[in-house]
Amino acid sequence: MIYLLQIFAIIFSLGMIYFALLHFRRGEITTVETGSWALVWSVLIIIVFFPDVVRTFARTYLYTRLFDLLVVGGIALCVFMVARSYLTSRRLEKKLEEFVRKEALNNANKKK
Amino acid sequence: MVVVDDGSKDNTFDMAKKIQGVEVLKHKVNIGKGAAMKTGCEYAFSKGAKAVIFMDSDAQHSPEDIIKFTKALDNGNQVVFGSRNYSYGTPLVRFLGNKAASVLISLLYGIYISDLLCGFRALTLEAYKKIKWESPGYGVETEMVIKTANSGLKHCEVPVAAIYLDKVKGVTILDALSVLLDVFRWKFRK
Repeated sequence: MIYLLQIFAIIFSLGMIYFALLHFRRGEITTVETGSWALVWSVLIIIVFFPDVVRTFARTYLYTRLFDLLVVGGIALCVFMVARSYLTSRRLEKKLEEFVRKEALNNANKKK
Repeated sequence: MVVVDDGSKDNTFDMAKKIQGVEVLKHKVNIGKGAAMKTGCEYAFSKGAKAVIFMDSDAQHSPEDIIKFTKALDNGNQVVFGSRNYSYGTPLVRFLGNKAASVLISLLYGIYISDLLCGFRALTLEAYKKIKWESPGYGVETEMVIKTANSGLKHCEVPVAAIYLDKVKGVTILDALSVLLDVFRWKFRK
C-alpha cells in the first residue's frame, strides 16, 4: 500500500514539474517561478523516496509523524497560493476596469 | 442624458444611440455597476455638469421623481438618496434585508439611510470628488453611503417610486453577502 502511495506521489510530482515547464515554454511564468515550482516538487519526490531524511526534522519541531508535517506544510502553501491569487486577480480587475473605462471615455470624446 | 452600456450583449448601445440628446458610452466588457456609474460621472462632469442623477437601467425608476432630486440639490444637499417605500411594491424579503443593512450601517458609521440599495440618487461634482468610490460592482451604493458619512457631506433622502417589471433583479444573495462583507471592510479602511 505504501509503495502504491509513493508511486502515485512521484507520478503526481513529475506531472506538476511537467506542467511548470509547459507554462514556462509558453512564456506564462518566469524562470524563477519555474525553478521554484520544480524545486518544490523535487523536494517532495526526495521526501517520498527518503522519508527518513525529514523524519528527524519533523521530530525536532514536535511533529510525531512525517505525514503531519507534510499536511501542515501543504496547508501553509495553499494559504499562501490563495492569498497570492486573490491579490493578483484584484490587481488585474483594477487594471481591466481602468482600461475599459478609459477606452469608453476616449471613444465618446472622439465621436464629438 | 448619459447612458453607459456596461458590456451588454443586447442592442442597448445601438438603440440608445438613435435617441437625440442622449450620449452613449460603451464598456467593451462587463465590469459592474460601480464602474459604469464612475464612467458616466466622469463623462458628465467633463462636459460641464455640476451634478448628476443616477437611474438604474431596468426601468424601475420613474422619471417623474427626477424633480425631487433637483429640488433637493437646489436646497444645498450634496448627496441625495432615493428611498423606495414598501408600499410601492418592494418585495418583503428585499425590504427587510435592506432595513437590517440600514441599521447595521447606522450603528457602524452613524448615518441612517432607509433604502441603502436604491440606485436612484444624485450627487454634486464636489461630492463626487470626495466620495469617488472604488467598488466596481453592487458594493457602490453602500460605499457611497459610508463615504458620505465619513466626509460629512450634506445629504438627504427623497421618496421614490419603484416599478418592478420583471422577477429577475440585479442583486443576488451572493451580491448581498459580498456587500455585507464590504460594510465591515470599509470600517477598517482609511
